[in-house]
Amino acid sequence: MKSLIQLTVNGRLVEAAVEPNRTLLQFLREDLELTGSKHGCGLGDCGACTVILDGKPVNSCLVLAVQANGREVLTIEGLAENGKLHPIQQAFVDKGAIQCGFCTPGMILSAKALLDANPRPTEQEIRLAISGNLCRCTGYQKIVEAIGEAAKTIQGMEVS
Amino acid sequence: MTQFQVLNTRAPRLDAPAKATGQAKYADDLAMPGMLWGAILHSPYAHAKILHIDTSKALKLPGVKAVVTAKEAGLVKYGVSPARYDETLFAYEKVRYVGDEIAAVAAVDQATAQEAVDLIKVDYEELPAVFDMFEAMKEGAPQIHDEFPGNLNAEVHQEFGDVDAAMAGADLVISHTFLNKRQDAAFIEPHACMAVFDSDGRLTVHSSTQVPHYAQRTIAMVLQMPIGKVRVVKPYVGGGFGPKAEATPLEMSAALLSRLSGKPVKMTYTREEVFLHSRARHQFYAEMSLGVKKDGTMLGLKNKAVLDGGAYTSFGIATVYYSGSLLGGPYKLQGMKYDGYRVYTNKPACGAQRGHGGVVHRAAFEQLLDMTAEKLGMDPIEMRLKNIMKRGDTTVNELDMSSLGMEECIQAVREASKWDEKKGRLPKGKGIGAACGFFVSGAGYPIYRSDTYHSTVVIKVSEDGGIATVLTGSAEIGQGSDTMVAMFAAETLGITLDNVRVVSGDTDLSVDLGAYSSRQTLMTGHATKEAAEQVREQIAQVLAEDLGCEASSITFRDGIVLFDGGPGNFEKIRTMYIKEHRGWTDPPHGEYLTFREAARLAYLKKGTLVGTGKYKPPKLGGSYKGAAVGTSPAYGCSAQVAEVSVDMETGEVTVDRMYDAHDCGLAVNRTQVEGQMQGSLSMGLGETLFEEVKFDSRGRILNASLGEYRIPTALDMPNVDTVIVESNEPKGPYGAKEVGEGAIMPTIPAILNAIYDATGIRVNELPSSSERLYMKLKSKE
Amino acid sequence: MLLPRFEYHEPSTLEEALHLMSELGGNARVLAGGTDLLVRMKLKIDKPTHVISLARVPGMDEIIPRNGHAVSIGSAVTAATLAGHELMRDRFAPLALAASRLGAPMIRNLATIGGNLVNARPAADLPPPCMVLNAELKLKSAAGERQVSVNEFFLGPGETVIEPHELLLSVHVETPPPWSGGSYIKLGARKTLEISMVNVATLLTLESPDGPIVDVRIALGAVAPTPVRAYGAEQLLIGEQPSEELFQRAGEVGVGLCSPITDHRGTMEYRCMMIEVLTKRALRSALEQARSWKP
Repeated sequence: MKSLIQLTVNGRLVEAAVEPNRTLLQFLREDLELTGSKHGCGLGDCGACTVILDGKPVNSCLVLAVQANGREVLTIEGLAENGKLHPIQQAFVDKGAIQCGFCTPGMILSAKALLDANPRPTEQEIRLAISGNLCRCTGYQKIVEAIGEAAKTIQGMEVS
Repeated sequence: MTQFQVLNTRAPRLDAPAKATGQAKYADDLAMPGMLWGAILHSPYAHAKILHIDTSKALKLPGVKAVVTAKEAGLVKYGVSPARYDETLFAYEKVRYVGDEIAAVAAVDQATAQEAVDLIKVDYEELPAVFDMFEAMKEGAPQIHDEFPGNLNAEVHQEFGDVDAAMAGADLVISHTFLNKRQDAAFIEPHACMAVFDSDGRLTVHSSTQVPHYAQRTIAMVLQMPIGKVRVVKPYVGGGFGPKAEATPLEMSAALLSRLSGKPVKMTYTREEVFLHSRARHQFYAEMSLGVKKDGTMLGLKNKAVLDGGAYTSFGIATVYYSGSLLGGPYKLQGMKYDGYRVYTNKPACGAQRGHGGVVHRAAFEQLLDMTAEKLGMDPIEMRLKNIMKRGDTTVNELDMSSLGMEECIQAVREASKWDEKKGRLPKGKGIGAACGFFVSGAGYPIYRSDTYHSTVVIKVSEDGGIATVLTGSAEIGQGSDTMVAMFAAETLGITLDNVRVVSGDTDLSVDLGAYSSRQTLMTGHATKEAAEQVREQIAQVLAEDLGCEASSITFRDGIVLFDGGPGNFEKIRTMYIKEHRGWTDPPHGEYLTFREAARLAYLKKGTLVGTGKYKPPKLGGSYKGAAVGTSPAYGCSAQVAEVSVDMETGEVTVDRMYDAHDCGLAVNRTQVEGQMQGSLSMGLGETLFEEVKFDSRGRILNASLGEYRIPTALDMPNVDTVIVESNEPKGPYGAKEVGEGAIMPTIPAILNAIYDATGIRVNELPSSSERLYMKLKSKE
Repeated sequence: MLLPRFEYHEPSTLEEALHLMSELGGNARVLAGGTDLLVRMKLKIDKPTHVISLARVPGMDEIIPRNGHAVSIGSAVTAATLAGHELMRDRFAPLALAASRLGAPMIRNLATIGGNLVNARPAADLPPPCMVLNAELKLKSAAGERQVSVNEFFLGPGETVIEPHELLLSVHVETPPPWSGGSYIKLGARKTLEISMVNVATLLTLESPDGPIVDVRIALGAVAPTPVRAYGAEQLLIGEQPSEELFQRAGEVGVGLCSPITDHRGTMEYRCMMIEVLTKRALRSALEQARSWKP
């Protein structure tokens, strides 16, 4: 039987009736057509489905949509403002941190969660923060560089 | 190299913003009204006769719109090489591996489709199965394909030069064996596709594929449709690495179900199904002997390969040839003998994966080189330097090194890693190792016998002259080919990159063999250059006629046109352009004529401004059997050094740092080249330390998940010092050749050689798991 | 990957939750973090007809210090919270360390201590540290309440003494005495996202910084059907001056107390060797922590 849920997705209040066995990932991708969060494995092994739930990055394939009731979700689509890329997105573009792009939304959101909590991370802290996001294309190096770059940009913005 | 305006820069990828914002649509992101979901029934047995298939219950389930088996699909044989079309879409008579496709269902949603699959009742008669390639070759082993007795799928015997004489003249002959395990490409995006027929009976398959062209041909052949009625479109693809370089049962099932149901059909593989489908790296057994003079000169190589091919051929013919041909370089040999065997087993079929058949035998050979150097008391890098080929050399198996920056690569990593300071001086448990490799820049011949161009490209300029659109069937799968194509077009046309658009990966656009064998930079690059030159020449011709000058005096650069290097007199062209664009707020200005205005004039005089380009390699290779495989217009090469720390009490290996120098001829986009190098190394590291597909005694995969099939995480992969070497390949567009696959060649042996340096243990079986290394350390005590 | 259908319950009080559990019994599963349950359901290993979520039950996700000597950890406290909690890291290091090594960052944001204990996977990260801390588990049902030592909690893979109508409410741990130190070591293939091949937790208490060992607890995971307290190895150490040789012998004894299996992650032989090595290292690390204990 469907439950009525109400949640904030990318700053907007959303109301829907969902079956309990629907994951948050399915709800975002299919019901809300926010296809930026990806299905890579369905078991929490790859991180392609990462979204930020009440400020914390989680595998949305392991969260039921009904569990997100009353909570705040940030997906990759919610990052850019008025068409302007978020500094993390811009850094990924500038530093060549994107190849096939499938891990990218998850990586960027894990990076956002990191930088929100720790604005000046060391390289090791960056690697730890994205350790649950698998990438097969880049070898992670340019992703780590991009996140470091974004940290500097955000710090610079905050100062000014 | 500052001679280029666009090439050789760090231009950001064209598709990066779409990917960074989640706007990029991959196959599973697509949806159409009325779309159905498909699911496949896989065999639970490794080898069994199919006695009866009962789909009646499945058909009756509410929401099911179509169920298909071999009955509806027909029995058209397909595969990758026409010489080995050994599969049908659905199994009939028997199944040959756990995962073999038997039927497919289309239903209103995914859950119903899966429920229906579970309702299909199949009566099997289990047959004895064989899982080990050596067992499979033995007398009395279960026969997997009637046409291939002894389960021998392919056999290769080649000899170049006089190997026996070479060995006889050797001061030292060292022999060695090596074994890896079956791999999985582990791209993060599982296969996905959507098939739809339009009202004219024309099929479009949107698919996560590396090869729209090959997929189109196979789908048309198997569905018994004319090629012109089949279109394959590649949306964004989340990685391919080889297994997506052939048509899949997913695509063909979806097409068939769509035809029957009259609705679009979406199908995806679960991660487990990706493992069941495989078409990834084979298991290889290598047996080699190298004969050398005591001064380190290499004389002869004897090389044997036995490949576990799984239940079908896939790319396997090329694979078993590559295991031999790719050892012909980059060292000079007087003689080389190769015997290769590809064997059927009751496991998922193996195919091409980054570096193809070359990777494991390269690893074995580079390890053998280190063993030889040690016996001779030579530094391993010195030994390699002594034997490397140079530009212009030809390998013993007739492959032409028209450019080969092998020496530069070796010196670069030797310096960057401070090899001379470290080698032999590191404490126990720390090691440094080196290796080299080389790879084709595109296979010399297409997969099917044909005179076809390997790449064709169309460039169309917008009628206001402002934007050049490149139309290409080539496949952007993450490696950056769209950006590469745009950069070649921009450079050649003499315009800026932001005025180039690329539309790609659609068989409606042009013929391109796709992203495999590291071919697109060289081949699609050539075709793009030619198309752009055609456009430029047409514009130059029009300008020459209109302004009364020589076409040869006209050059294009940075979006402007120069006449004998100067501005020329073009007032009337500008006046006309501005008049035609009254109301526009960005009129052309400045002291030079712009490309925009020139191209507009060309349109006015000639109509739509279109350029076409095409590329096909010249006839390559020797006249011996199998000569085709390994041929290529050019070869990329690389050298790597790895530094490791080994926990001597547990056997755990940490790769601390890697150094990679790759000769790509000319780096079209420096950032992208580095990215390909770093990515290749991370796959190589995974294959060395963690990766292995494991089976139980009944042929079922034990670790069909990304949790248990372990690819490196950000905590496992070190930083790589990358060095780009540019040898300026004469056969490549602007001197460019490959990087996408060649970069992985030295990785496994560099790490293994470093492990030896740290521990005194030669690990000649992959993966070098902590347990494997630990047991070897213990037995040495 | 799809989840099978089930009926979903989201009780808003503990009483409601317990009432549902008595009613539904074995047909229901409790959903806390979901990182284990939902995976098992997707793999069709578990097919509960009812799922009871603890999301709205108040008070389950708090860490409450109790009169300076103990801490009460709500069963819905996540691994991430445990790993980052100052008090946990300071006084209950094995547990904080183990929590920091569980899965990967995103998993840690969901996975709970209650789930990790009740699911009772032989290779789970949190049981061994709970065991060396002699944690007391508060089990509650509609009928009443009971306390069980974590050292008596595990019965077999996936099996504990918890009844179908019971809920693990909280985990109580006593602050270790002065000059105590603990550690947690996990052996896997990669540096993260791993299910342990072998894991070890220890807690060691000295009489004084240079003094002998007055108490030591060693627990091993992934080397038997349940996590194992290596009492025999502990006996060897108590009252003795710490030394390399002593720790080495403790490791050897530890091996004898385990019954690891050969599976696709590793062989029995290797696991046995690693029990020895990791036990020794864990004790060494705990000793270091104990010697640098600060009030």
